[in-house]
Amino acid sequence: MVILPVDEDLLRHALNYGLSEGASYVEARYHKNESDELSMRGPKIVGAGTSVVDGVAVRVLVNGSLGFAATNRLTREGVEAAVKAAVVRARSVSTLRKNPIRFSEERLGRASYEVKVKKPFEALSLEDRIKLGKELYDAIVSTPKEVKVPVTMYEVALSKEEKYLLTSDGAEIHSVVPRVSMMLNVVLASPQKGTLQRMLEFGGSGGPEQLEEWRVEDRVTEEVRNLENVLLKGVEPPRESIPVVVGSEIVALIVHESSGHPMEADRILGREAAQAGESFVKPEMVRTYRVGSDHATVVEDPTIPGSSGYYLFDDEGVPARPRYLYKEGLIYEPLHNRHTAAIFGTSSNGAARAMDYRSEPIIRMSNTYFAPGDRSFRELVEDIGLGVYMKSYMEWNIDDNRWNMRYVGLEAYLIKKGELAEPVRNPVLEVTTKGFYSRVSAVGKELRFYPGICGKGEPGQGVPVWFGGPDVRLSSIRLGVIA
Amino acid sequence: MRDPLNIAEEVVNELRKDFDDVIALVSDVNSAMVKFWNTEPSVTQSWLETKVTVYIAKNRKTLYLSLSVSDPEEVVKAVKSSARALEMLEESELYAPLPKPKPWEPLEGLVDKAVVNALNNPKDVAEELVNSALSGGVDRVAGTLTLTHEVKATATSKGFAGREERTAVEAYLRVFKGEMSGHWAYGGRYLDLRKIQEVGEKAAYYATLTSKKADYEPGKYDVVLSPLVVGNLIDYIGFMASAAAVLMGYSMFMKFKVGDTVASDKVTLMDVPRDADLPGSTAFDDEGTPTYDKPIIEKGVLRNLLHNVGTAAKMNASTTGNAGLIFPTPWNLRLSTGGLDEESLAAELGNGIIVNNNWYTRLQNYVEGMFSTVSRDAALLVRNGEIVGHLGRIRIADRFDNLLKNVVDLGKHAYMVKWWEVQTPMKAPYMLVRGLNITKPSV
Repeated sequence: MVILPVDEDLLRHALNYGLSEGASYVEARYHKNESDELSMRGPKIVGAGTSVVDGVAVRVLVNGSLGFAATNRLTREGVEAAVKAAVVRARSVSTLRKNPIRFSEERLGRASYEVKVKKPFEALSLEDRIKLGKELYDAIVSTPKEVKVPVTMYEVALSKEEKYLLTSDGAEIHSVVPRVSMMLNVVLASPQKGTLQRMLEFGGSGGPEQLEEWRVEDRVTEEVRNLENVLLKGVEPPRESIPVVVGSEIVALIVHESSGHPMEADRILGREAAQAGESFVKPEMVRTYRVGSDHATVVEDPTIPGSSGYYLFDDEGVPARPRYLYKEGLIYEPLHNRHTAAIFGTSSNGAARAMDYRSEPIIRMSNTYFAPGDRSFRELVEDIGLGVYMKSYMEWNIDDNRWNMRYVGLEAYLIKKGELAEPVRNPVLEVTTKGFYSRVSAVGKELRFYPGICGKGEPGQGVPVWFGGPDVRLSSIRLGVIA
Repeated sequence: MRDPLNIAEEVVNELRKDFDDVIALVSDVNSAMVKFWNTEPSVTQSWLETKVTVYIAKNRKTLYLSLSVSDPEEVVKAVKSSARALEMLEESELYAPLPKPKPWEPLEGLVDKAVVNALNNPKDVAEELVNSALSGGVDRVAGTLTLTHEVKATATSKGFAGREERTAVEAYLRVFKGEMSGHWAYGGRYLDLRKIQEVGEKAAYYATLTSKKADYEPGKYDVVLSPLVVGNLIDYIGFMASAAAVLMGYSMFMKFKVGDTVASDKVTLMDVPRDADLPGSTAFDDEGTPTYDKPIIEKGVLRNLLHNVGTAAKMNASTTGNAGLIFPTPWNLRLSTGGLDEESLAAELGNGIIVNNNWYTRLQNYVEGMFSTVSRDAALLVRNGEIVGHLGRIRIADRFDNLLKNVVDLGKHAYMVKWWEVQTPMKAPYMLVRGLNITKPSV
């Protein structure tokens, strides 16, 4: 039997009250986010905190106008006040709409699901987390041979997200998703060569068992060792056009930024124009416009077990499923909620997510990845006479249409006669979206995922996602450099 | 509903028996946001909330709690339940005893009744905002209007008790004319219809300046940054001026000390919590310290990092009234003005680029201040004092210390700016910078 985190009658009352106030659709979501966080600077604690925030979010359609309201006053009166505000304020501006908003008809879910942890949160006690922070600090500062480590930061969070959703057209979804995340910030400093900074993130749904897979100490000490080499011995990248092997970590971010975001149907239609921007993708380009080579296939999939973006039903009650964003170079299937699906004349593919009770559900990515190919890393580099391998990054950005993008390499190497050679410092991959995907000439077979917090919406909502990809080879590209 | 100060004081009085230091921050919020797309409202959002944050310390160990419950008994129960974690913790590197209360002077003019009255019927103001852009000849309008009425209360175990009622207005528009777009924003305490109209007018001005495309080669350019771009970039400077950012490796000021020259002598950047026009204004910080206006950079010289009692103790300084538990932050920022005439920006620039708006500022290295940012609305090429076309999206990729040191002039007027990409309320003018590095994609 499912134990609900909130009185079901309170949400049922929100639905009935909204309908009685004139709404044609009402949605009520109880949403609770719990988190235990610890921050350490070097071996010492700078902050520890607990957050337990819960409340009810309501959405209504009134006269074709969409209203949203959130409250953490979980009494009948408090929820009624929120429903009333949603209805009254949506009605107030409804005459400014020429076209009424409507939602697509869907087969909505009635389900309850929970991500089961293999190890409970208690298996990573506060003492354990402090001990781990000290061990990581010791490992980091004892790794470099020549450079100093003036500062390290370590942040770890154990969190749990629980939701209970009801809609006036029949959805009823209860879900519980625990997550663990960790972030390290390391600065390396050389009196002669300046500084270099790395932020390293780990995260996924589930319990502390994930730490065994993350191998944090191995990862961070290997990186520090390699980055010391980059700081002390890094050279400028070649100025001519050369083959570039883009590492999995950068490929993962690129697909998030230049496949996932431009394929959000709300951006395509202009709903985020003044905030996160629009998209180079226009509705007529779906399944007609070629953005990349046959190697360019990008998948978006909320159902990957253990992922940061895991869910089985979205926050409108629509079942989740994998979708091809780009398929063999072709723009394929945008991410939809029930509003954009109605405009496109299609069905929602379950992309509506809300960060917390304060947030309206909007179209979001979950886990986005470049589909792996068949090449080993050796096969990707073996026939390159002179090229560059960019393994990791720090700085990146992309324009608001998701076309003009830039990634600055952190750990990078020259490729000479098919072998990795001396390190390269601050190579800049600055390309258009089509420039990148159309130059993909070979794809590695090892798919790796990276966690992130994706920002969108107004007020801004940061939701946990994974992005992934293998190493890929670009046929020919001219890199820039930060002098 | 109980008054926030009443809740905060009751929580502190109950918890002070068990802990060395206690802070309770309680706020009641009623907020409405109308969001536009394609000249129509996409959604009207509302928040009716009571937010509670509690800080406790014992034996130099500290813990922070964010809670949704607001009944004092439930808050105390939740805090005591979580307080078991204190036993497992070690001393905080940033612990310092809370300050004894000092007299504080309330700020006048934090509430505009017109904001409160418009909360349940925002249509007229929203319509005014949109129409002000449409009358400028644009095709379509996107943006938001946000109205907020809040009561904030702070109580500490040292006896501080403060309450502030305030309102806030945030309005910004991005408007389109063909391939061109323009953007403007306003953030203040008052529902000033003239300022609301100015948002639409200025956004439309940039969207309709030219439809002619121009091209450019990557390289160094003299650039005029609009108050929106200045606001975004100066927001990063304000963040990096936090002593916590310096301690944690997120600041270019790690390389400098107070008294060093970090900018052109044209640049004076103030933290102005006492400027009641701006929606970050407050008379007391989260530790109960009275706020005061102070220079971060004065005529190019670094004058102050921003401190709470914890960072101040760590860095042998005094609190600047910028708590922020753990992380001190600027309340409002105000940049100096200069002699740059807004009516003749192109003529004053001569040759270069005028940038209306930007987003997605990211750093390769906070310590070195290496950043890039992308323009997103009008980026105008200027030749011999004339605008000759728009460049599409361009990227500024440089270092913050270069940017600050190459400021040659600032606008005569500072605009009140706050929007998605400028989170700290700000008074920012136009800025003329020599020799900024501009890049573009290679393919």
